Amino acid sequence: MTVSNDKSRSGLTRRDFIAATAAAGAIAVAGRAGFALGQDAALKVGFISPRTGPLGGFGQTDGYVLDLARKALAGGFQAGGKTYSVEIIDQDTQSDPSRAGQLAKDLINNQGIDLMLAVSTPETINPVADACEAAGVPCLSTVMPWEAWYFGRGAKPGEPSPFKWTYHFGFGVETFHQTYISQWSKIETNKKVGVMYPNDADGNAIRANLAPLLAKDGYTIVDPGAYETGTTDFSSQIALFKAEGVEIFNSFPIPPDFAAFWRQAAQQGLTKQIKIAQVAKTGLFPSDIEALGDLGKNIASAAYWHKAFPYKSTLTGVGGQDLADGYEAAEGKQWTQQLGASLSLLDAGFEALKAASDAKDKAAVAKAISTLNVTTVAGKVDFTSGPVPNVANGPIIGTQWVPSKGGKWKFDYVVTENVTDPNVQPEATLVPYNS
Amino acid sequence: MINSLIQGILLGGYYALIASGLSFMFSVMRIINLAHGSLAVLAGYLLFVLAQRFGISPFYGLLIVLPVMAAIGFLLQRFVLDRSLRAGPLVPILATFGLAIVVDNLLFQQFGADTRSLAPYIGTLSYDSFELPGGIYVGALAVYIFVTAVVVLGGLQLLLSFTAIGRAIRATAEDPETAGLVGIDSRLVNAVAAAIALVTVGLAGAALGMRATFDAYAGGTQLLFAFEAAVIGGAGSVWGTLIGGIVLALAQSFGAQISPLGFLIAGHAVFLIVLFARIFLPRLILMRRRA
Repeated sequence: MTVSNDKSRSGLTRRDFIAATAAAGAIAVAGRAGFALGQDAALKVGFISPRTGPLGGFGQTDGYVLDLARKALAGGFQAGGKTYSVEIIDQDTQSDPSRAGQLAKDLINNQGIDLMLAVSTPETINPVADACEAAGVPCLSTVMPWEAWYFGRGAKPGEPSPFKWTYHFGFGVETFHQTYISQWSKIETNKKVGVMYPNDADGNAIRANLAPLLAKDGYTIVDPGAYETGTTDFSSQIALFKAEGVEIFNSFPIPPDFAAFWRQAAQQGLTKQIKIAQVAKTGLFPSDIEALGDLGKNIASAAYWHKAFPYKSTLTGVGGQDLADGYEAAEGKQWTQQLGASLSLLDAGFEALKAASDAKDKAAVAKAISTLNVTTVAGKVDFTSGPVPNVANGPIIGTQWVPSKGGKWKFDYVVTENVTDPNVQPEATLVPYNS
Repeated sequence: MINSLIQGILLGGYYALIASGLSFMFSVMRIINLAHGSLAVLAGYLLFVLAQRFGISPFYGLLIVLPVMAAIGFLLQRFVLDRSLRAGPLVPILATFGLAIVVDNLLFQQFGADTRSLAPYIGTLSYDSFELPGGIYVGALAVYIFVTAVVVLGGLQLLLSFTAIGRAIRATAEDPETAGLVGIDSRLVNAVAAAIALVTVGLAGAALGMRATFDAYAGGTQLLFAFEAAVIGGAGSVWGTLIGGIVLALAQSFGAQISPLGFLIAGHAVFLIVLFARIFLPRLILMRRRA
């Protein structure tokens, strides 16, 4: 500003004020012109994930991943022969679905975003995708069973896809089925599977879709019925599993429920007969397993990303091992599978912007996503051959938590099978839980 | 059947332990402390930090954490509850509600979203068990927690009945002004009572951390169980709290026998039945007498 100091003491006159405003305006215009000389336009990308609240474990690594992405984009982003400046606006749902929807609407209406990215759990993704579908903004998402995304939002089997703007990639029930069959064939068992599926969106979907597939492959499913999240006593289920002599256990619980169940199972002698404890949802992240103490040893799990994935991020150029090591060095915490999942979403999103005929044209971006076929840090994202329109199938890799061999952390997370992505090399053989 | 009866009674001991501080505070100060669960989780985190960073077993950790909790209770009563109580009986509820949100989010800020447990620091105790005749297993920890609950509730009863501070607490609860006339400083007495209540909250936090897991937002569920147990047991009565906890847990166990989904619903149903009975039965009796 050019207002001199002696005048400001006596207060601004109207003429001074007009002169100052004009000068400021001129500077602003000049600034914008200078900006436009170097770069064609600005792109805004929304990124919605649960960073706090009960689902906060999923969002824990997003700060680090977004930093990597912003660094890679700092020099501008090339697409269609133009250079764009990119702003990624990240928002925290606080694990609340209605807040997720509001945030999406705010990003669409007030920030004018060109592309929406949403990650982790139906509670985050579905409300965001619905808001984008309604507003005509392209939306890409990952990390939830695609059936709950596609059919859960009103699509009907065998009918054309009702979605024009929203796309999802990642694992589904069939992926789990293949992985479990492959994982469970590694150890000789009586093929009796005790299942504990809770009464929630995931639990009911798994009971309806996964259990029949397992039964078809010759596994006997022992299902005591759905339980309510927050249950603190599981004596009746444990008694049933003991009476039936199950040797495989499968569950999709939240961590507090699993800790309560598994300790009680150990107290009552059930864990001695379990050869494979295959848990999903709990056990995605190291802290879930550490909280179990000795009982966490040899719990089998499945991962939508692992640092052993041999791919590189298209956006940042970072490979799996580097991503995990970088996070551990920067945050002082053990790597988690969410690192690669969140980064793969950014990879795929920016590849779509690159492939679009005009990155500022929403219809062109949506069209680019619908034909996207790239390899991200988490593997192939191929919308041209998906199980249903708008969906690209992704891998889920069989894994196990084993005591760390001289490492910094209590448990190592090792790959034990690779049926859904043969490029990932198994690192260990599955160890029986009760060994 | 016998199995779920025994497991239910033991679980009831845990509910009684978390409810004891809530019902004690209500009976003495007429304050429903909605931050009760969050404070228990805070105690859990304090024990966790001592165990993880300094290698102090949670049992020894209690020697440090319980005095800290007592100090928190004293200061809480002095600077928050006492002041808000002057503005009317509903204001302390709002104040503790706000406190719960503050505590939850501070814990999240500090410890993040990781699920934590004290179980890794107590060896095999979290899954040790005793075998009873008939192939029934009871968890060792569940037995210890039940015993702790009985000792805590018995201790509170003895304290109220036989000590000078207990008499002062009861007098203040009955009528603070009259108690003041005979030289009882009601503010001090209430602060001491809050300190005692928070010591039980510390024990509840330890029990929670050892038998289950917690994260920054785990306080709400604990508050719900504590509240239900306290109300079923007749808010404010010491032994009623133990009975309330056991009734709640038995209802849940038998609910789960009918259907695994019935566990929580049966607990809530018993709570509501008792609540409505409390409200409407006295009126019915009164009406009959008049008729």
